[in-house]
Amino acid sequence: MALRDQIRIMVVDDMSTSRGLITQALDAFGVRNVASTADGPSALKALESTPVHLVISDYNMPGMDGLQLLHRLRSGAKTKGVGFILITGKADKAIIDQGRKFGMNNFLKKPFEPKDLQACIEAVVGRL
Amino acid sequence: MNDTNDPMAEIRASFFIECEELLEALQDGLQQMDDGSDDPETINIVFRAVHSIKGGAGAFGLEDLVRFAHRYETVLDEVRSGKLTADAEAMKVFFQAADHLSDLVRMCRDGQDIDPNGGDNLIAALNAFLGDTEEEEVTAEDFQPLGVMTLDLPDLDAPATPPEYEILFKPGQELFTTGNEPQTLLRNLAALGTAQVRCDRGDLPDLSSLAPETPYFSWNITLQAEVMEDEIREVFEFVDGLCELTITRLDDDTESPSALPDLPAVAEEPEPEPTPAAASVELAPEPAPPKPVAKPESSSDAAPPAKAAGPKSVVRVDLERIERLVNLVGELVINQAMLAQSLDQAGLSPHSDAMNGLEEFQRLTRDIQDSVMMIRAQPVKSLFQRMSRIVREASAAVKKDVRLITEGEATEVDKTVIERLADPLTHMIRNAVDHGLESTADRKEAGKETTGHVRLSAAHRSGRVIIEVSDDGGGINRDKVLGIAKSKGLVPQDASLTDGEIDNLLFLPGFSTASQVSDLSGRGVGMDVVKTSIQQLGGRIAITSERGKGTTFSISLPLTLAVLDGMVVNVAGETLVLPLNVVEETLSLGPEDVQMLRPGHNVVRVRGGFVPLYDLGIMLGYRGARDTLAGAIVLLISLEDGTRAALVIDGIQDQRQVVIKGLDDSFYRAPGIAAATILGDGQIALILDPADIIAAAGPMRHAELARPERKAVNE
Repeated sequence: MALRDQIRIMVVDDMSTSRGLITQALDAFGVRNVASTADGPSALKALESTPVHLVISDYNMPGMDGLQLLHRLRSGAKTKGVGFILITGKADKAIIDQGRKFGMNNFLKKPFEPKDLQACIEAVVGRL
Repeated sequence: MNDTNDPMAEIRASFFIECEELLEALQDGLQQMDDGSDDPETINIVFRAVHSIKGGAGAFGLEDLVRFAHRYETVLDEVRSGKLTADAEAMKVFFQAADHLSDLVRMCRDGQDIDPNGGDNLIAALNAFLGDTEEEEVTAEDFQPLGVMTLDLPDLDAPATPPEYEILFKPGQELFTTGNEPQTLLRNLAALGTAQVRCDRGDLPDLSSLAPETPYFSWNITLQAEVMEDEIREVFEFVDGLCELTITRLDDDTESPSALPDLPAVAEEPEPEPTPAAASVELAPEPAPPKPVAKPESSSDAAPPAKAAGPKSVVRVDLERIERLVNLVGELVINQAMLAQSLDQAGLSPHSDAMNGLEEFQRLTRDIQDSVMMIRAQPVKSLFQRMSRIVREASAAVKKDVRLITEGEATEVDKTVIERLADPLTHMIRNAVDHGLESTADRKEAGKETTGHVRLSAAHRSGRVIIEVSDDGGGINRDKVLGIAKSKGLVPQDASLTDGEIDNLLFLPGFSTASQVSDLSGRGVGMDVVKTSIQQLGGRIAITSERGKGTTFSISLPLTLAVLDGMVVNVAGETLVLPLNVVEETLSLGPEDVQMLRPGHNVVRVRGGFVPLYDLGIMLGYRGARDTLAGAIVLLISLEDGTRAALVIDGIQDQRQVVIKGLDDSFYRAPGIAAATILGDGQIALILDPADIIAAAGPMRHAELARPERKAVNE
């Protein structure tokens, strides 16, 4: 069984287009266990009952941004070990440094090709 | 890939829909900023809208859109971080940039060619706000990805164990005196999941020293439930402060048994590319026994974690489906009317079950109808936002300083009406900017504020939607208007017209007052076209103007294009329907009530005042004048503009809802006839537009009688 059959991923993005694009790309890689939510609080709530291996989250979201979500994940007993990839439109040094501090596993700058996303994920979890 | 079901094409289509929402949020935010809002969230929303459009556009390779959005976003980010102040100059550029962005989005959507240099001026204007600070970006090479060390998730098929909480609850004295009941709270708590409740009675004194109003018990509850701590607190919301409450998460550190082994870290590799070493890592399929679950029913079995988030959830429905529903409801209304008629003819007692059932059926039909109409209703906001752009462009073209004030943006109107209002409203707004408002120099000379104002408002009034476009310009130059009308042969040279009649000349076909036709308001298209568009929507347009103060165009539209509360009347053997909302009252004429103003022109006395009287039979050409008006039935009509009129009819049949069936274009448009309907007995009846009938009675006559009450009182 390949990793892609087992891995569970949660996509967090306030823009449904982005959620659709990432889910679509993951689907093309053969990753089928993908959940998505439109904001950080819903993601945290969903993760309470259904944990995932990897969270792929947008940075710029209303309310709770991607880094705040990361911080909340890292402080939760159940979620502190989850993989976290930040999708950002601007790889601002301040943002990336903060991410690093919070234990971000990787980041991906928009726009990206599906193969970039795959490489980014595989750098965190290994070959899909 | 299957063309009809290409997932990318679907996502692309949904991107453009999302863009429309983002553009609306952008306009809204900019408007708030322009109105002086200093809420940091406003600029965040504005920034995020542009940012999200850029992000999506990048994914679809829409380079021109990305390039422009990026510039725009960079400047907005400066505002967001406080490095740039959004002064009037900046706001002007931001609005223009929003307009350009919206053009780009639509051009990308429709696959139109984009002039790669089209936005250069704006980009230059945006760049002017930026210092030379270049953004410091991190490249992927600078970041060392962290491999996930543990992938210790429970087996997919094993239901997750709900979290366990220990809750200590000790009511205080006031909990009882305020009428709260611990039992209810405990029950609500147990409803969340599986609860084990233990009552601590240790504090209970001897019976002799027991104070009956003092709480002695406390409770210790172990709750296993798929909830967050906040949800537990919510149960105790109403007794907050009236009790001692401690909530402890019990299983916080209990690690679930691992179904998946840890993944070896792959982060040692500086290149984020997958290597064969990482590729060889396979997950051991050894499943660990799932942790026994206390109560399987309470576990969330395979519930998808994804949930539509946000304050309200929205479903997008194909408009065709709604149209179909609207049509079906229309048929239902007709059907119900027919059923009512046959039951009535069957001579059933009004107290029979069938009649009672029918009553209920009528009520439900009406509810369904209202609900369906609500689906079609949309706030006029999107329409108004488009108009603010028209004002910006029009005012720039004629070099006038103009501010648009909008009111009642939340007013909901049928979607079709909104769509079909865009063109006439655009024309009216351009007219207001171009012709309505004076030049800056003229305003200064007149001692007015140099900034001209155009006000666009929407409101519900007496069952209709009123949309007004007004300006604070010079008002209609009536001498000039009359002069043009005479020179064009639109009115006789010796005609003497009232102010209102002169104003209404603007609606005559081919009328244009601008001495030079500007390229703004266009050629050939005049207010007559606007009037026709409004009439086709079942609406009316009126004009009022005051010299030096400004002009107001008022559009009155029906709330829905599908159904009407109507009064069914007889005139000379014909069945006609009048909108019920204009019928103020019905009267039976006495011999003293009618007074002749001049032959053929009568007024009727209504409680001391006089109202012009029109005979529908004559006006519609059904018959000649009645021998006597005494004993005739009249409907007292009251229009939104305050005009009143009395219509002579031969009899009233009924009040009922009718489904509006539009008259085909192939029918000659007869004045006063708005549409048709099918009645309960299958008969076709014409629906009248009273205002149009009164207007059709001729401007001279109408003007003469416009306010007879006042005349009568003065005499």
